[in-house]
Parts: sequence; structure tokens; C-alpha cells
Amino acid sequence: MKALNNILPLVKNETIKMIKKKRFYVILLVLLVLVPMFAYAQLRQAEDKREKFGTDWRREVQQAITDNQNSLGSDRVPEEWKKYRQIYIQQMKYYLEHDVNPREPGGVSFTREFLDNAATLFIPLLIMGVGSDIVSSERTGGTVKMLLTRPVRRWKILLSKLVTLLMFVSLIIVSTCLICYLISGLFFGYRGWNMPVFTGFQLRGVEVDLSGVHAVPQWQYIFMQAGLIWFVSIIVAALAFMVSVLVRSTSASIVIMMATLIAGNILTNMASSWTSAKYLFMVNLGLTNYLAGTPAPIEGMTLGFSLLVLTVWGIASLVVSFLVFTKQDILN
Amino acid sequence: MAARQPIHDEQHHPVLKVQGLKKKIGRKWIVHEVNFEVYAGEIFGFLGPNGAGKTTTIRMLVDLIRPTEGQVHICGYDVLREPERALRCVGSIVENPEVYGYLTGRENLEHFARMIPGIDARRIEEVTQLVGLTGRIDDKVKTYSLGMRQRLGIAQALLGRPKLLILDEPTNGLDPKGIKEMRGFIRRLAEEGMAVFVSSHLLSEIQLLCDRVAIIGRGRVLAVGKVDELIQANRSYVVWELEPREPGERLLRSAAGVSVVNDAGSVLDDTIMAGIRGQAIVTQMQPELIPGLVQGLVQEGVRVEAVQKVNPTLEQLFLEMTEGESIE
Amino acid sequence: MNRTSRIWRSAGIASAVSTLLLLAGFVYAVSDIAHPSAEAGAKAVAPSGMEQAVKAGVWDVTSIGDSLAKGTGDDTGSGFARRTVDLLNKEGATSKLVNNLGINGLTTEELLPMLEDPGVKYALQHAGIILLSIGGNDLFNGTETLTTGEQVPTQAEIDAAIDQSSAKFGQVVAQIKKINVQALLVYVGLYNPFSDLEGMRDIGNDAVARWNAMAMKTLGDYDGTLVVPTYDLFTNNSSRYLSSDHFHPNGDGYQAIAERMVQGIAR
Repeated sequence: MKALNNILPLVKNETIKMIKKKRFYVILLVLLVLVPMFAYAQLRQAEDKREKFGTDWRREVQQAITDNQNSLGSDRVPEEWKKYRQIYIQQMKYYLEHDVNPREPGGVSFTREFLDNAATLFIPLLIMGVGSDIVSSERTGGTVKMLLTRPVRRWKILLSKLVTLLMFVSLIIVSTCLICYLISGLFFGYRGWNMPVFTGFQLRGVEVDLSGVHAVPQWQYIFMQAGLIWFVSIIVAALAFMVSVLVRSTSASIVIMMATLIAGNILTNMASSWTSAKYLFMVNLGLTNYLAGTPAPIEGMTLGFSLLVLTVWGIASLVVSFLVFTKQDILN
Repeated sequence: MAARQPIHDEQHHPVLKVQGLKKKIGRKWIVHEVNFEVYAGEIFGFLGPNGAGKTTTIRMLVDLIRPTEGQVHICGYDVLREPERALRCVGSIVENPEVYGYLTGRENLEHFARMIPGIDARRIEEVTQLVGLTGRIDDKVKTYSLGMRQRLGIAQALLGRPKLLILDEPTNGLDPKGIKEMRGFIRRLAEEGMAVFVSSHLLSEIQLLCDRVAIIGRGRVLAVGKVDELIQANRSYVVWELEPREPGERLLRSAAGVSVVNDAGSVLDDTIMAGIRGQAIVTQMQPELIPGLVQGLVQEGVRVEAVQKVNPTLEQLFLEMTEGESIE
Repeated sequence: MNRTSRIWRSAGIASAVSTLLLLAGFVYAVSDIAHPSAEAGAKAVAPSGMEQAVKAGVWDVTSIGDSLAKGTGDDTGSGFARRTVDLLNKEGATSKLVNNLGINGLTTEELLPMLEDPGVKYALQHAGIILLSIGGNDLFNGTETLTTGEQVPTQAEIDAAIDQSSAKFGQVVAQIKKINVQALLVYVGLYNPFSDLEGMRDIGNDAVARWNAMAMKTLGDYDGTLVVPTYDLFTNNSSRYLSSDHFHPNGDGYQAIAERMVQGIAR
């Protein structure tokens, strides 16, 4: 309790700095600019489809099934993609059998799809924008000398920064969801909270085990998505935090984190034959895939596995951060 | 000046005690061996050229750098073992006063105040007034001039009512008026009983400000002592203007305890040289010998037009101690 | 108190609430994925409204079956399905393509279970005209080996295939009629793609003729059916109407088939 009393004013300091530095506002601004663009693009796509299928989603879904079935016969389609498509076909059929539109337009559905797409790169990038800066900016600006000559132990200072970072991770994810919903609602309407979404597809090779499939209201689905993305973001934040401790310059630490994340995205798309890549953290960022029943990029990855890998990475980077920060000489 | 009576008898505990401080970075010893003590109420100068290990030493005092060997005690607490207690007694500015430009002066002070237990809004008001920033305290720091930043830096250093104030090059970047104000300000703090540790590469600065000084060169403390004592310990320079010059110079060269300096320009300050005519002879000798020499010169028919005693500057001290290593 | 305190308080509270919320979401998601059946069936989805919502346009077209139904070989990708719709529209009817459910390489045996899919049923129910093309793959399975001419199927093999597939074909037609009795079922008769291949010409011609006769007979049992012959189109004009794979029609071939269909469809 006493330690908490010591830490709290420090967290307050860091929070005020974070807000006053306007990093958080920049992230909100990025969202406010980009989300309408995504929403508009999707609106146009929806209009295109309406020309073909009218408002009849069942025909649209059936056509998607047929198209995918056709591509299964083609030799030019790589085997992994076929696996994706087979699973996709089975899921779509399940939706049709239960007469549920998997892509009901609406602000809530948009948010759900946006979260799925943003989970591995977009949101981690936002998190990184805050995290890479939190320690290195003090060193770039020289204010670290002012911080560390206070009668406060170094680990407390670092801990207060970590706590602040985690606070903002939560804020960023919640604001992403809110901004997404509020803006896309302008385009698609604000309904769709209770629309059923199926989850619980268990993958056994190319076969989908439907025994566990159940419908959840869409809001609940988004709730789960956000929780998984939150976990991923915490790990990304911990890594960005470590880089921020290790690298003196803010821009260098942003570049390092960005390169890692993008490399992860590229690897996810092509690493299926390099199986030990599954121990890399950046391949495991797609936790929401397990919710949607999309196959993992590499054979043998499960939710438990990904959580374990991410946790190990996260803890390791925190250990490194604290060891280095408390021991390091401030030379510049 | 009477109130500022530096106390450094051995019974009195030093506020800052540095023993056998050494630092090795990579394979290089940046600081070889530094020992000194600073007592309450005195202004202690830390003089050395850039690259002599001054900044590294200062950083070791405030726990920014971990010494390879040796100890630093502040108010009796070991900085390494009890950093929280030791640093509670210190206010410092290491190098430039780097504060958060995107915060206002007050927000900066509030920020640092939260890191020290028991500092309230009233104290912030006090230090603001003390450094004379009251009018601008609610402006963003990025709009401040260097002098105002320096004052804000001092304000944050004073927040915790420190017993020891560490200022690294405090007059850097200030205009002459600002430098004068700063000196007055530091003296007042020392008069109130604070121990002030001032580093500088400017000799005049230390001479004008400090009671005692440690001179550091190449990572070693070359001398510690009262500024006056260090000057006394060295022989003074005496400048002669004689007519006729030749026999006078011959006489001075032959006198015991007197050495004529051939290249006066290299040992004396430009300011002193400016006041000396080109014909002058510069000697190094004990001042007590002057009356006897004058008598001898007059007896030989040499007219003594002027005799001037010149105290050595710290630069000369430094030159003598390091045997030629120069200060930039 | 002042502004910074307000920032701290609102940011602090907002982030604490967010964190708790997200943590709950995370725990919920992990347990849901780990034990997916825990809640299965708890929330039954409302029974489908598929059956009742049928309001098929008379001229709306669904095509189903094999690669011909899909339009393989047509560089424009239209196939006879879209071409038929276009022709109908040109003649003043309001027609649209509901779905093109053609799948490359489909046989009658594979088509049967497809007809149980709700999505397929739905697309069929919404059509006024159902274009069916099936059977070619039953007879000429493994087109690649055939075109290289290495493994010419024997007469006996083809006979067996026809007998076997005829029964399935009957079931397909019955099922489609069961799904949508009102729609006009247009069956695209087989043609012999190997009429220019010396060894295959006679066997192929014979098989195709027998199949078409069988199809005609099967469909004749139902009202609202039509068989569009294509046999004659490709017998002497194979180079003009066949695409480069020597098996599927090209754009002109599909256009010719579509024109026949439109001619056959009563208005």
C-alpha cells in the first residue's frame, strides 16, 4: 500500500506528460481521419455488391461459396490458401444453414470487421507510437537526468511509466472501438448490437469441427475481440517499452518497432513452411483469428500456444527493461 | 561577507564526502581518483577543463553513473546504498537545465514536486519568487529564454530545501548581467547555510565565487584548498619597469630567489598584460624580496619607475600543477 | 483543483474502467475459445425465414451444374447464364442473374448433395429460369487424359457411366423440381467435344446421343422443362465454337447456346 502511494504521484506525472505531449491526441486524430476513409471504402464496396445481388445477402454468400469451391479445383491455388477457403466455405455454409448474415451492414458489424483487420498491424502501430517514446523521449530531451536525480528509486520511475503506458493502451483500444462505431454509424447506421455472430469453429486440419459453434450477440463478440486485442497490445507495449529503454533516440526506437511489426505481418503471409517462426511474437498477434475460426498462419498454433508465446516475450522484455534501466549509466 | 564563514573543521560532518571515486568506461579510466569534502555554508568550486572528468564526477555524485570504485556520502548517506535518502538532501542541475518544454514552468515544478515527499503548492510559490519567475511561471517553457530556463532549473533544484546544491556550469549561456545576478544568488544561498557545489571551466568564475576549490585534470584531483591558500602557495609575479632597462635586468637576474620570465605573454592573463608596457620585466619571486631589490637597483643608478605585484590566476596554478596541459 | 488535476482524474478513471472492461473481455474470450461448447445451443438462432420469403422473378436466372454452367472457356467470364440474361433483357424482359452456381468438374453425383445446401436451395427458389448443365464430367471424366488421347475410354466404360449417372440425373431433376416447381428448368444437352479426335468421335457421338435421349425422356416427365440441344452446334464447328482447351465452348459457343435458350423460352 505504501509503495502504491509512492507510485501514484509518479503515474500522475507520466499521465499528465503523455496528455500534454499530445501523443494521445495524435492517435485519436489518426483514427478520426482514417476510420471514415475505411468506412467510405466499405460503403462503396457494399454498393457494388448491391448492384449485383440487391439486398439479398443469401445469394451473395452462396456466390462466395461457389466461387471458393471453384478455386479449390484449380492447381494454381496454393495448398494453404485452399485450406483457408475450405474452412471459409464451411463457415459460410453454417451461416446460411442458420440463416444468419455474416456481413450484415451496420456500425457494429463495421467495428467488428475493422477490429479483425486492425488487430495485427494497425492497433499495434498506434500502441507503438505511444510506447516507443515513453522512455527514450526523456533521454532525447535530457530530462531523464532531472527524473533520476530525485529521491525516488529508478525502478519506481520505470514502473510508473509502464503503468501509464498500460493505461493508455486500454484507452487507445476503447477509443478505437468507440470512434469506429460512431463514425461508421454515420455511413451504415448504428444498429446491429444483437445480431448473432458464430464463434467456436474448431479446426482439425482442413475440417471444421462445428460441435462447439454457437452464436453470440455481436456486442459480445466485439467485447471478446477487444479483450484479445488488448492482450496483444499489452505485449506490443511491453516490447516497445523495452526498445524505448534500450535505444536512446525516439525515432530509432519507432523505426525498430515498426520494422518488427511489419516483418511479422509479412511472415504471417508466407511463413507457413518455416514452422519455428511460430515462436516469434509478431506471428502470434492475430489472436482474434481464433475467435473467428480463421486458420493460424503456422501449423500447430493454438490460442493457448499464442498466449504462452506472447506472455514469455512480454515478461522477458519487461525483465530486460527493468534490469537495464536500473543499472544503466546515464552518460549523455 | 562576515556571515559566510565557511566551517570545515574535522569535527563538523561534511555535507558531501567523496572518497576514492573512480570510474572506468570501457577500458578507459575517466576518473582516476577523486577525493574531497564539501561543508555547509561554503561554495565549493570544481575546476577543470572540458574532458577532465568533471561531468562524470558530478553524475556519480547524484547517482546517474555508478562509480567503479569509491564512495559518495551526502548528509552521511551512501548514494549507492540509500539513494532515496541521500538524494533527498540534494538539489542539482546536471549540465543544462533540461525541463519539459511542452509543460508550463509551474507544471514542471509541480511535476518535480510530486517526486519529493512533503512539497506543497506554497513551496512552489516560494521558489518561483526566489528565482524571480513569478510573471512567466504559467507560460510554456519552450517560450523561455536560456536564462529563464536556468532560473527554472534552479527553482526545481531548490524545491526540496536541499542541504547541498550541485550546479554544473551555472553561468553557461547567461549574459553579463545574468552572470552577476547568479553569483549574488548563489552567495545568498550559501549565506543561508547551504553547501553549494559549483563546477566550471572558467577560472574567473571560481575565483569570484568560491571559497574553496578542487582542481581536476585528466581524471585526478590535482589540488584542494582555499582559493587564497592555493594562490599563496605559489610565488607571485612581479612586474618591473626600469630605466635604463639593461643594467636593471642584469641585476634582477643575478639576485637570489628571483627568476626572470622570458615569455611573459604565456603566463599572464591578457587583461594584466594589457596594463604593462612592452619594456617591462616580469619576474617570479617572493614579494618580501621587493624592498631589498629596489634599494639595490637605486644604488646602482637604475630608476625604478613602477613595481607591480600580480597574483597568479587559477590558470597559472593549473599550468604549474599539470606542467603544461592547457585549458581551452 | 486545476487543469492538470482534471486531466489526471479523467484519464485515470477512464483508463481504469477501460482496463477492467478489456480484461473482462479477454478472460471471457479465452474461456469461450477454450470451451466453445459451454454455451452452444444456449442461444438458439431464430429458425430460418428462408422458406417463406420466396418471391421469384419470372425471368430471373440461376445457373447450376458443371463448368459449362459456370462459363469456363468464355474469355469474358459471362457463360451462357449471363448471356441469356442479357439477351432476355434486350428483348424487353426484366431479367437478372440470381446466382451462377456452376462448379468446374462437377458430376451428377456431386451435384446431388449440393442441392441440399440451404444457399443453393435459396438461389434456385429465387429463379424463374433454372439453367442446368450436368453430365459431361460423368461421361468424359478426366478431360486432360482424354485430350492428350492417351487413355481413350472404351465403349464399355462409357456405357457403365451412362447407366450409373442416368439414375443420379433423374434424382437431380426431381430434387430441383421439388425445390422450385414453378421455375422453367432448362437443361443444356451434351455435345461431343471430341468430334475432331479420330479415336473418340464415334464413341463420343454415341454416348452423347444416348445421354441426351435419356435426359429428354427424364425431363419429359415434368412440366416446365426444356432441353436445349447443343450437339449439332459443335459437330462441324468445333474450331469456331470451342475454346483453346478443346473441351469448353468459347464466347461464341456460349452465345450460340444462350440464343437457343432464349428462343426456347416461352414469352
